[in-house]
Amino acid sequence: MRVAAIWTSKLGMISAGFMAFAALPADATECIAPSNPGGGWDFTCRTIGRILTELDLVDGNVQVTNMPGGVGAVTYAMVASERSDDADLIVATSTVGITQIAQGKYPAGVDAMRWLGMLGADVGVVAVAADSEIQSMADLNEALKADPSSLTTAGSSSIGGWDHIRLLIAAREGGVEDLPAIRWVQFDGGTDAVTQLIGGQVDVVSTDISEIGGFVESGDIRLLGVMSDERIPAFSDAPTMIEQGIEMTGYNWRGLYTGGDVSDDAYNTWVSNLETLYNSENWQTAAVEFGLVPIWRGGDDFEAYIREQEKVTADISRDIGVIQ
Amino acid sequence: METLSLLASGFTVALTPLNLSLLFAGCFVGTLIGAMPGLGPVNGVAILIPLTFAFGLDATSSLILLSAVYFGTMYGGRISSILLNIPGDEPAVMTTLDGYPMAQKGQAVDALALSGVASFVGATIAVIGLSLFAPLLARAAIHFGPADYFALYIMAFATIGGVAGVDPRKTLLSALIGLMIATVGLDPISGVPRYTGGNFHIYDGIEPIVALVGLFAISEILMLLEKHIKDRVGAIRVDGWMPSLSTILSTKWAMVRGSLIGFIAGVLPGAGASLGSVMSYSIEKQASDKDGTFGQGDPRGVAAPEAGNNAASGGALIPMLSLGVPGSGTTAVMLAMLISLNVQPGPLLFERQPDLVWGLVASLYMANVTLLILNIPLIGIFTRLMAVPTWALMPIVAAVSFVGVFSISNSVFDLEVMIAFGVIGYILRKMDISLVPLVLGLLLGGDMERNLRRAMSISDGDWSILLQSWISITLYVLTLAFLALSVWLAMRSNKRGKSRRFEA
Amino acid sequence: MTSTRLLAAVIFVIAAVYTWYGSTYSVAFGDVLGPSVFPVIVGIPAMLLSGSLVVFPGGGIDWPDRSHLFRQAAAIAVLLGYAWLLTPLGFPIATFGLIAALGAVLGGDPLKSVVLGVVMSLALWVMFDQILGLPLAFLGSIFGG
Repeated sequence: MRVAAIWTSKLGMISAGFMAFAALPADATECIAPSNPGGGWDFTCRTIGRILTELDLVDGNVQVTNMPGGVGAVTYAMVASERSDDADLIVATSTVGITQIAQGKYPAGVDAMRWLGMLGADVGVVAVAADSEIQSMADLNEALKADPSSLTTAGSSSIGGWDHIRLLIAAREGGVEDLPAIRWVQFDGGTDAVTQLIGGQVDVVSTDISEIGGFVESGDIRLLGVMSDERIPAFSDAPTMIEQGIEMTGYNWRGLYTGGDVSDDAYNTWVSNLETLYNSENWQTAAVEFGLVPIWRGGDDFEAYIREQEKVTADISRDIGVIQ
Repeated sequence: METLSLLASGFTVALTPLNLSLLFAGCFVGTLIGAMPGLGPVNGVAILIPLTFAFGLDATSSLILLSAVYFGTMYGGRISSILLNIPGDEPAVMTTLDGYPMAQKGQAVDALALSGVASFVGATIAVIGLSLFAPLLARAAIHFGPADYFALYIMAFATIGGVAGVDPRKTLLSALIGLMIATVGLDPISGVPRYTGGNFHIYDGIEPIVALVGLFAISEILMLLEKHIKDRVGAIRVDGWMPSLSTILSTKWAMVRGSLIGFIAGVLPGAGASLGSVMSYSIEKQASDKDGTFGQGDPRGVAAPEAGNNAASGGALIPMLSLGVPGSGTTAVMLAMLISLNVQPGPLLFERQPDLVWGLVASLYMANVTLLILNIPLIGIFTRLMAVPTWALMPIVAAVSFVGVFSISNSVFDLEVMIAFGVIGYILRKMDISLVPLVLGLLLGGDMERNLRRAMSISDGDWSILLQSWISITLYVLTLAFLALSVWLAMRSNKRGKSRRFEA
Repeated sequence: MTSTRLLAAVIFVIAAVYTWYGSTYSVAFGDVLGPSVFPVIVGIPAMLLSGSLVVFPGGGIDWPDRSHLFRQAAAIAVLLGYAWLLTPLGFPIATFGLIAALGAVLGGDPLKSVVLGVVMSLALWVMFDQILGLPLAFLGSIFGG
């Protein structure tokens, strides 16, 4: 009896040890970046993963998985169908993802997931070359009103993507009516678009500030307006859109979601852990270094924000004809 | 002069025991990762990002490790091209053309040594160019507009016509098939999904590395299975273990030409290492293939693309550092890494953080020297792979290729695509259609289309924009001259062939 | 000759379908050339070239005989099996199967192939998962991994 008990417990220990060893990757916290390495979503996962470990908010390391496809649609579909109750999984997203959802380009709507929080945001800007005749948003909108196809506008998103839409919102708020006539040239990144701006191939660029700030400091380009509520401290000369009478903001926030069937307990733990992370020195430094403005919205507040943004983006996309 | 003193201080920073050991480790691991089909610089650098955080390395040490791995994978990519006829990564495709025939002739050691030296020459020329002209060249590259890029891609496709195959119709068809595959997926300009059948997995298009591994590695297995077993075992012999110095020296001009062409291709953001190796190979072939030995194992056909590919990856650092524009997937990852180290590449980097820039340049020099030293003993190890019988070698190659693809995308779908491309590659090879133009079409097609459409958006639908800048006009003139030269050379060799036949 | 013609005809049909589909893509506004022009520019020459191969095939194809075709089919079956069983079985078991079966298909001694499979599947797992940090599940989903 006793021998048998010892034997069983030994076996148990061995198999437990083996299981722990074998199952470690599956049980560890995982952050999916729905893109290739490099870029914003990858940064979100890698930085947040690192800081979660540094602050001991999770056991061990956070495993970062890259799952590119369909601007996040592949990951969205996979989480919805296979891992909707996996409390150890978080996924990076941003305004870009919500724009895709609003335009019906994801396999499911916002209700399929639980939205944890946003931790920072990049600010949209409108820029021209240093020697451009356009001096303000008013100049730009006047030129577009007179002849919408007179200027070539460019940015890093596709037609109907976030860089394009927020420029059109600014134009609409500034009184331009024939929005579809404005020409848009897509480049692979904000800096690509800016080099073409300096090279004189395009006239106006709309994109995030973080990528192109260096060109503003070097004097190659000028900011016509920034799409934030307040001026950006590093570029305090550049007026906001609101100051110029254009009632709009255009942030590109960075945040996280988890599966739709995750329990309330697990969800609340995540939200509070992320809030702790947000308030840490580590995150504040990392975010600023990456060119983000730290902004926190979490839990129910964030859920409501997501739904509102999804609705607003869908309405605008319909208004300007990106979707029917 | 200031450059030299900055560079010297860069070296003193880099020459600590910790940094030297990181350099060796990085070069070694990089070479191994690069040598495995399906794993390339992007994976190598991505694997390292968490490591540098885990060890708490400072910015300089991280940069040294990173550049060691970056150049290491570039060196490694050629190994499986030469030994197995399977390119380790995209830019190594051209090396299969003459590298594998060299190995089949028993000159695997020569081919590996030669490509190591060529890589060294290419990378060194690029790093010298980087130290001397980086800000200047970056300013020049800004004047390349979409119409000029389109002209550059037209030139690339015109030159690959002469690269491979007997029947020019088949070469061209192969390139067109590649271009067709390149249009599959979400169109980045309009956001319209094309040829996806509603499958989200295809929205990002066919990942070139997945197609590449399928086309070469899996079709190679199917080709092997055609032959009788007894014909295969020990089919490839290795003549001697010492590389021949005279072979290497005979390619010195091919290396220099390849390096210069590759460097220029690298400096242009968006052109990158693949274009560098293609142009180096095809121009070298045009310039020196007098006896029709290219494609049969001509050492110059290994030297030129290897020098070109490494020079291009060095040159690609110029737009990345001074403009913040990543020229390729690899430099994109490196850019992300620099940003996470609180280095913001852009027009002010050279003024604001000169110590970091020159530290990076110094570590690139050192990585090159280390790789050359490391590569000589490694040649012996890698060549012994040839002694492994195919029944044991190919399953391992298949497993590594699968893992390489799967561990990055976590997608079973990618594995299925890879197998499908293996079957397609096999059928095309049976039809005598070379796969190299297809791969180039796939690699360059997306950018070619986008730049055409950007140009047309800028001109508001006026096709004459394609001929409006002196850059594009020059490129088209060069393309025409190149085509005229090929036709003339083909006619001349045809005549010679005939007269030889008469003599015989 | 015949099989070159047949395959060229298949490529022709694919190019034709490709061109036809390509010409249907459109975008509401903003993109001057649009998503359909390039596929048409590429598709039509591909149709012409493959068509010319149907009419004037440049050389025939030597297909392998029946027993070799059977081995090729077996190799593809093994590869597909691996793709589908990798997630359920986990990396080492699936890779063991791949290497052992493919080794045998390639004409290796079955026993040696099995030994190679055992050694290499574990070695590759250690190298990728443990050393390089590319996560690969040790046990698959059917083992609860």
